[in-house]
Amino acid sequence: MASAKAYKDAGLSARLADRYYRPAQDSDPTFVGDVERISGTEAHICYQCGTCTGSCPSAPRSSYRIRNFMRRTNLGLKELSLNDPDLWLCTTCYTCSDRCPRDLIPTDVIMAMRNMAAAQGILPKNMLGTVNFIYQTGHGVPNSDGNRAARVKLGLEPEPETTSKYPEYLPAIRKILEAYGTKQLADKVLAEGQ
Amino acid sequence: MSGNNHQFAFFLGCIAPNRYPGIESAAIRTGKKLDIDLVPLKGASCCPAPGAFGSIDLNVWYAMAARNLVLAEQMGMDIALICNGCYKSIWEVNHKLKHNAELRDAVNEVLKEVDMEFKGTINVYHLAELYYNDEICGLARLRDSVNTPLSGVKVACHYGCHLLKPRKDREFSGDVIGDTEHPTWFEELVDALGAEAVEYRNKMQCCGAGGGVRGYDIAHALDITNEKLTNMTDAGAEAIVDTCPFCQLQFDRGQFEIQEKFGVEWNLPVLHFCEMLGLAQGMSPVELGLDLHQISCNSFLDKINGGQ
Repeated sequence: MASAKAYKDAGLSARLADRYYRPAQDSDPTFVGDVERISGTEAHICYQCGTCTGSCPSAPRSSYRIRNFMRRTNLGLKELSLNDPDLWLCTTCYTCSDRCPRDLIPTDVIMAMRNMAAAQGILPKNMLGTVNFIYQTGHGVPNSDGNRAARVKLGLEPEPETTSKYPEYLPAIRKILEAYGTKQLADKVLAEGQ
Repeated sequence: MSGNNHQFAFFLGCIAPNRYPGIESAAIRTGKKLDIDLVPLKGASCCPAPGAFGSIDLNVWYAMAARNLVLAEQMGMDIALICNGCYKSIWEVNHKLKHNAELRDAVNEVLKEVDMEFKGTINVYHLAELYYNDEICGLARLRDSVNTPLSGVKVACHYGCHLLKPRKDREFSGDVIGDTEHPTWFEELVDALGAEAVEYRNKMQCCGAGGGVRGYDIAHALDITNEKLTNMTDAGAEAIVDTCPFCQLQFDRGQFEIQEKFGVEWNLPVLHFCEMLGLAQGMSPVELGLDLHQISCNSFLDKINGGQ
């Protein structure tokens, strides 16, 4: 019997008609479970409506499609997802997550994939620069001489009441960054880049 | 109701104290007139940046934020803060660790090595929600504290993302602050200062900077910012008001970068709500460090001075 619905692309029609179709790329069946464990959201119940992409401020100005990442999660396309530069174009505005009719948090799916990519050393170097700033000063955006002078003019102390003024709090911060291997990751990846 | 002093541990974050110190100064000084006493949270660090740290490893993000929370727990005080990014880290990690014993135990395992323990004994608030809260301040009280109304100026409110979203993870009581599609409480705060808040297209859109995108692909981030600036200007806005120093950086320094990269010039002053409140309570532009802003605030200041 002829298919009720046919597409001009014969290959696509064949794939859609094949109930046992699996993606040509290596599919990793553990991917969806790992993403759900890290993100805490049930990515597998996504029904691909596209409300997420339709709400996304990054979608109109790039090839980043949050719905595509949701689909890849369920198809187990791990390597494709983790190596895709678009993974880093989510501004984490959470608009998709507020509007998702399945009550999922697609933004946290992206964060989970970023965690998995970062563990493999795949991540933007500027983020690791932030790690190093915090390791050194406690601040991702540290104080500066110009700002110290400006603070004094406003009647504030040159150093804010943070690790800037109390560097004795820094050892604890360094211990935490080392306990999770974050400092080591930053050193390793930044060294490779040079 | 005066005489009822509310004390909070003041969590500063990075960008306010280190780039826009006028926000810090304004929050402390305006708070005195509203009986909101902001006590130094000694030894606090970066929240840490939810975009960068959350992307690298959520577990280290939890632990670093938990260290800041424990410092406030040791003071026995709730936290008040002035940045949406900090709100995401500090409020959300506090909430997660209070409700997820497994996560809390894992974080405490690491905190034990630095002689700390997360107990879950405090709450976290953004100053903007405290201004709106009748039990702490409220609109009437805020209006009464104004001695220099910002009349005659049209302002576009930028709510930012991480104070309100994702809504299902937040615990705002009632529908007023909880609305993420079309809230109006920030406009009410601005109206209380005497300024006119304008409605503009897609006002809940992101500033473009979050999630590490500003650092990863600045042209992409600025293109989002530019869309917002277009929509704000179309509605006749003469200034932007925000509740987040990182959004402020993106709009303020971003306009300069947009001019460099896209050749578009906006010259739209960008102020944090605390800075605007400072002006409305009679603080001078110099006392607020408005001269430190990349985009001159003079057109805005002339407008409010001319209106008097």
